Amino acid sequence: MKKKKRILVVEDEKNLCLLYREELRKEGYEVVATTDSLRALELIKKRDFDLIITDIRMPVKDGLELIADIMAIKRNIPVIINTAYQSYRHDFMTWAAEAYLIKSASLDELKAKIKELIG
Amino acid sequence: MSELRKDIIGGRWVIIAAERSRRPDDFRPKNETRKVEAGKFCPFCPGNENKTPPEVFAIRKKGTLPDQSGWRVRVVPNKFPALVRGDAPALNRSENGLFFWMEGIGVHEVIIETPDHHREMADLTLAQIEKILETYRQRITEIQAEKQYRYLHLFKNKGPEAGASLAHPHSQLIATPIVPKRIQEELRSSKELKEKFGQCIFCHLIEEELKKGERVVYENEHFCVVTPFAPRFPFELRLYPLRHSAWFSEIKENEIKSLARTMKFLLGRLKEVLSDPPYNFYIHQGPNPNSARDCPDGLAEYYHWHLEIIPVLSRVAGFEWGTGFYINPISPEASAGFLRKEKQNL
Repeated sequence: MKKKKRILVVEDEKNLCLLYREELRKEGYEVVATTDSLRALELIKKRDFDLIITDIRMPVKDGLELIADIMAIKRNIPVIINTAYQSYRHDFMTWAAEAYLIKSASLDELKAKIKELIG
Repeated sequence: MSELRKDIIGGRWVIIAAERSRRPDDFRPKNETRKVEAGKFCPFCPGNENKTPPEVFAIRKKGTLPDQSGWRVRVVPNKFPALVRGDAPALNRSENGLFFWMEGIGVHEVIIETPDHHREMADLTLAQIEKILETYRQRITEIQAEKQYRYLHLFKNKGPEAGASLAHPHSQLIATPIVPKRIQEELRSSKELKEKFGQCIFCHLIEEELKKGERVVYENEHFCVVTPFAPRFPFELRLYPLRHSAWFSEIKENEIKSLARTMKFLLGRLKEVLSDPPYNFYIHQGPNPNSARDCPDGLAEYYHWHLEIIPVLSRVAGFEWGTGFYINPISPEASAGFLRKEKQNL
């Protein structure tokens, strides 16, 4: 049996975090989800992921700091930024990510981007 | 006693409120609050070329390939741009005539000035600064060929307080389908003042400033730097080419060399006198010369490209936002004095 691709979702809003986890599991991915960006970093150090989806505006460590840390340890993991804010486009640290998506009620764009990046 | 001064081209009044003897120390940024980026990932550093879109221009070591290490200056489009390339957009208006909008076309490029993450423009060699300036000219000239981009704005933000999100030295070029309001105002004013004084107002001001000397910070065979008569901000500077020209793209080889010396002197002095302040600089030039509607007859004679440098040493607050009227706590004569104090060895 083909091994499932493993995705890490980092989203501090609990309900959204659960929604992403369930929706992406339905698409056939193995999904690990956390609302805590520090916990996310621990998970990345311990386990291998094929893709990371992260919010930006989060307490303690924001998504851009998290991305910088990820790049320092495992720079080849593709990252999708999934945020409610356009304004972070001005921050060139976002370039470490492969995609910058604006949160939407429909997950079609997110799913399409995941498919494009990891199949 | 404070003084109200008028900027003849911008038509703006400022309050010069130098109530006590200000020293450069009064404006130095508090370095201890600066974020340290050391060791963090940087998408502009060599080795990370795959994190940027493919380069559109680069000055490289011989034998190196595009989008790999070995570059001296590298230009890439913005990965997540607010404006995207397209044809000339139509102007839409609502039936009641109150609302106007158009498609968001434009070009946004990032000029990565050096492979060295930690070496700011002030610390680069003259040869490297020349490469950056040649790159500015090349990109402006190439994008100008697409006349739907009616204005090209070249600028640099240095330091987080000045809006830079990464420490790696870079400048940006944004081409827009409209001519920005500030440029339109300068164009209108320059045209009127040319009619009034019978010559380009910038050439006239340069002559007067060089004659007077009290606001001159630097001068060489092709450029001069002055603190304007009515500056909005402490240590605000204007860099003017002595040869009249409306567009940066008309700069010549030998002038690029002089401009590199001017920039190195100027940025070096700001760094020394004001303890490496954050700053913004930007070029003001005529609208795209290939856009006939924006360049009426005579524009080439009455407009004069220049570069404005604004060290970020004070905050714009309610009074300035609400009135467009600025209070500057140091006179331009005093700031010019501090900046030119040591003799120019370049």
